[in-house]
Amino acid sequence: MNLGIRAILYSARKWKKTLLVFCLLLAITTLVLSGLAIADAQEEQAEEVRGTTGASFTVERNLSTGGWASGNGGSYSTQEFITEEMLQEIGSVDGIAGYDAAVVSMPYYYTQSGESIVTEDVNNSFYTYGSLNSEYNELFVSGRFELVEGTHITEDMPNGLILSRDRAEKNGLKLGDKVSGINNPYADDPEVEMELVGIFDVLADKDDEATMYDAATLWDYTDYAFCSYNAMKEMAVNYEDGSKLQEAHFFVEDAAQLDNVIAEVQNISSINWDNFIITANDEVYQNISSALSDTGTLITTLIVVITAVSMVLIILILSMSIRSRKRETGILLAVGIAKPAVILQYVLETLLIAVVAFPLAYLSSKQVAGTLGTLFGKAAENVIVTPEHFMLVAIVGGILLVAAVLVSSISTMRLKPKQILSQME
Amino acid sequence: MNLCKRACLYSIRKKGKTLTLLAFLLVMATLMLTCLSIQSATETANANIKKALLGYFTINAKTLESGIPEDTVSQILDVDGLSGRYTLRSYTYAAYFDADGNLLEINTEGAAQVPEGYENAGRVVANSNSQEDSYFTDGGFEMVEGNPITTEAGSQVLIHEKFAQRNGLSVGDTMLLGNVEDKDKTIPVTVAGIFTNTEEQDSIGMAPSYDLYDNIVFTDLSTASFLLYGTEGTTNVQYGDFYVNDPDELERIMTDVQELDGVDWENCTLTRYDNDYQNAKESLEGLQNIVFIAIAVVSVICFLVLALFLTLRLRGRIHETGVYLAMGISKGSVLLQYLLEVILVAAIALFISFGTSTAISHQIGSSLLSQVTSETYETVDLTGENEAAQEPTEDLGLAEIEVAVSAEDYALVWAFGMVLCVASTALAAYPIMKMKPKSILSQMS
Repeated sequence: MNLGIRAILYSARKWKKTLLVFCLLLAITTLVLSGLAIADAQEEQAEEVRGTTGASFTVERNLSTGGWASGNGGSYSTQEFITEEMLQEIGSVDGIAGYDAAVVSMPYYYTQSGESIVTEDVNNSFYTYGSLNSEYNELFVSGRFELVEGTHITEDMPNGLILSRDRAEKNGLKLGDKVSGINNPYADDPEVEMELVGIFDVLADKDDEATMYDAATLWDYTDYAFCSYNAMKEMAVNYEDGSKLQEAHFFVEDAAQLDNVIAEVQNISSINWDNFIITANDEVYQNISSALSDTGTLITTLIVVITAVSMVLIILILSMSIRSRKRETGILLAVGIAKPAVILQYVLETLLIAVVAFPLAYLSSKQVAGTLGTLFGKAAENVIVTPEHFMLVAIVGGILLVAAVLVSSISTMRLKPKQILSQME
Repeated sequence: MNLCKRACLYSIRKKGKTLTLLAFLLVMATLMLTCLSIQSATETANANIKKALLGYFTINAKTLESGIPEDTVSQILDVDGLSGRYTLRSYTYAAYFDADGNLLEINTEGAAQVPEGYENAGRVVANSNSQEDSYFTDGGFEMVEGNPITTEAGSQVLIHEKFAQRNGLSVGDTMLLGNVEDKDKTIPVTVAGIFTNTEEQDSIGMAPSYDLYDNIVFTDLSTASFLLYGTEGTTNVQYGDFYVNDPDELERIMTDVQELDGVDWENCTLTRYDNDYQNAKESLEGLQNIVFIAIAVVSVICFLVLALFLTLRLRGRIHETGVYLAMGISKGSVLLQYLLEVILVAAIALFISFGTSTAISHQIGSSLLSQVTSETYETVDLTGENEAAQEPTEDLGLAEIEVAVSAEDYALVWAFGMVLCVASTALAAYPIMKMKPKSILSQMS
C-alpha cells in the first residue's frame, strides 16, 4: 500500500479527528486572514482621516523677486500672475484633491426686473469671490460658511452665483433665478448675467472682532457672495489686473503626502518657481498625526500578535496530534515501512486537510468581519480579504505546517520500533 | 483513590500533555489580555485625536455692559469636559500719551478718515497670549524686539515698529493709554515689545485711522478691562474661546455654560467651532469600528479554537475513560476529574498570563511612547529664500497612551476562560459519557 493511499485512508477513517484538526486550521487561518484584512482596512481608514484634515498648500506670487512700478494708486508689483494653465497643470499632479483660486471684487447685483439686490449695509455692494471651485474656498473649508442649497461653483460653470440665505430670502430669490452683476454701476462696466446656483448659511460669528484684521471686515458675512471666475472676469473687463489671480490653494488627498506632492509640483518645469512661493498648511494634521499613528501602531501590533500566536497554536496542535500516534508509528515501522515514508504520510495527511481548509478560510474570512461588524452595528466596508492575503497565508501556512509535523515527529523518529512499541500506553 | 488525587497524578505523570495544555491556555489568555489592553489604548488614542482636532466655542459678550467677569470665567473653566486650554480677548480703542501726558502721534496716511476724537487713538487688542491673536497667526504680525504678552496683568503693551520710531519709544519705556471718551481716565503701561507686519494691510484706503496696522497696540487683559469697564483689581473680558476634550460634547458643555449665573446669556453670542472634527468624524468612527471588529474577531475565534482544542484532547482519552468506568468509578466523578485537570492547568495559565501580557503590553507601550516623545516634525523650507514659517508644534495636552492590563480585563478573561474550559470539556466528554463501558472498551483504538 503506498503512502498516498495510507494517508487518505487514515484521514477518511479517523474522520472525527480529521474534522477537528480541519476546524482548528480553518479557524486559525480565518483569524489570520481577517487580521491581515483589518490591518489593510486600518491603513485605508487612517488615510481617510488624514484626508479630512484639509491639508493644503498655497501658491502665491513672490513679490520680492518681481519688479515694482508705480501708478496713481501707489506702487504695485509687476511680478507675473498665476495663469489658468498653471492651475490646471498643478491641479493635475497626482494626489491633489482639488483647488481654488479667486479674485475679489465688490460688485452690485440686480434681479431680472432690474431691482437692486439689497445688502445689510446702505451700500448694496457684495464682497464677492470670483472663484474657480468655491468648495475649496477658505470660508467653506474652515466651516465658517456652509452650503445649504444647490451646488458649489466649479470650473466648468461659466456664470454661477452663490448668495447667503439671508440675502436670498430678503430679496425673494431662489435657486435658478437669473441675476445680473455690475462691478461698478457708476462707471462704464458691463452687465453680466448669472444664475443663482447655491445658497450658504453663515455658521461663524462675524461680530467677533478677532476676524477684523483685513478689508473684508467692512462687510457682514451675509453680504458675501461667490461667483464664477469667468463671470468675474467679464465684470472686471475694464480693470487690467483686476481679474488676475494672486494666489491659489491646492488641497491634497492625503495629508501625509503633502511634502511629496509639493516636491512634485515644484518639478513642473514650465513654471518659473522663482516667481512664486509655495506655503504648506497642514496644522490640523500635525495636531492629530501622533495620536493617529499611535492608533495605527496599536492595530498593527495587534495583528502581529495574532499572527504570531496563530503560528504557535498550529505547532501545538499538530505536535499534539502526532504525539498521540506513537503506537501507530511503531506498528508502521515494525511492518517495515521506512521512517521517511511514515513522516511523509503524516505531512501528506496534514496537507490534505490544509488544502481544503485554506480555501474555505478564504471564503469564511470574507464573511466573518462583515458579519461581526453588522452584528454589533458597526460598518466594516473597508475590511476586504484580497487574493494577495490568501497567497501569503497559504504559502507561509503550508511551510509552517510541514515544519511543525517534522519537528514534532523528531522525538518519535529517533527511537527504534522496539523502543516505541514497548513505550506504548 | 479520590478524584482530586487522580487529577493531580494524571497531570503530573503526563507531563508532556499537561505542558502542551498549559502552553495552549497560556497563549490564549495572553492573546486575549493583550488584545483587550490594546483596545483600551486605542480608545485613549482616539480621545487624543478628538482633542487634537480642537473643538471649541466662543463666547461673544461684547454687547454686555461689563463683559464676562473673572468669576464667571473660572466657573466656566470648572465645567466638566473642558480641556483647560482657553483664550480670553478684549478689543477697544485708546488715546495714546507719553509718560508726561503729552499726546503721541499716530499714522494717518492711508486712512479712509480720521474719526473725531480718535486723532491720537488706536485700536487696543488684549489677548491671553498676544502670539495667538489673529493678527499674529493670520495677519502676518511678528515680534521684532522684546517679549509677547502672556499674562493677564502687568500693565504691558506691544507697539508697532513705525509707531515706536515716530514717537521715539523703545522697549522698557512707559506710555499712557487713555479712555477715548474720558481722556482723564488713563493707565500707565510699559512697552514690553515691538512688532511689525510682514504682510501689507489690504484695507488701506478703506479703514479708519485707528484700524491701521501702525496704530494698533496689544496689551494685557486687565489693562483692557480698565479701559473698557473701568474695573480695577478684577478683569472682565469681552470674548472667550474655550477648548473642549471631546467635540461630541460641545453641545452639552455650551448648554451647561449658559446655565451659569452672573452673565446675561441672552445677549451673548455663543458660537461653536468644530469644523475639523465634523470633517473627520465619520472616518474616525470607521477607524474605531475597525479596532472593535478586530477585537471581536479575535475573541470569537479564540473561543472557538479553545473549544476545539479541548475536544481534541479529550477524544484521545476514550480508552482511559473505558478503564475508569470498568473499574467502577462513576461517570460523574470521571467527568469531574477531567474538569479538575483542565481547571487546574487553566488557573496556572491565567496566573502566568497576567505576567506575560503585562510584559508584552509594556513592550508595546514603550515602543509607542518613544515614538510620541521623539517625534519631531520636519520643517521643510519650501519657499527657498523665505524663512521657514513653521512653528514648533504646540503642546496640546494629550493624554499619554498607556498599554496596560486592567483589573477588569483580567477578571473578564478569568471568568470567560474558566466558563469556556468547563463548558467545552463537558461538551466534549458528553458523547463518551453517554456510552456504556463495554462499548467504549470495544471501540478502543
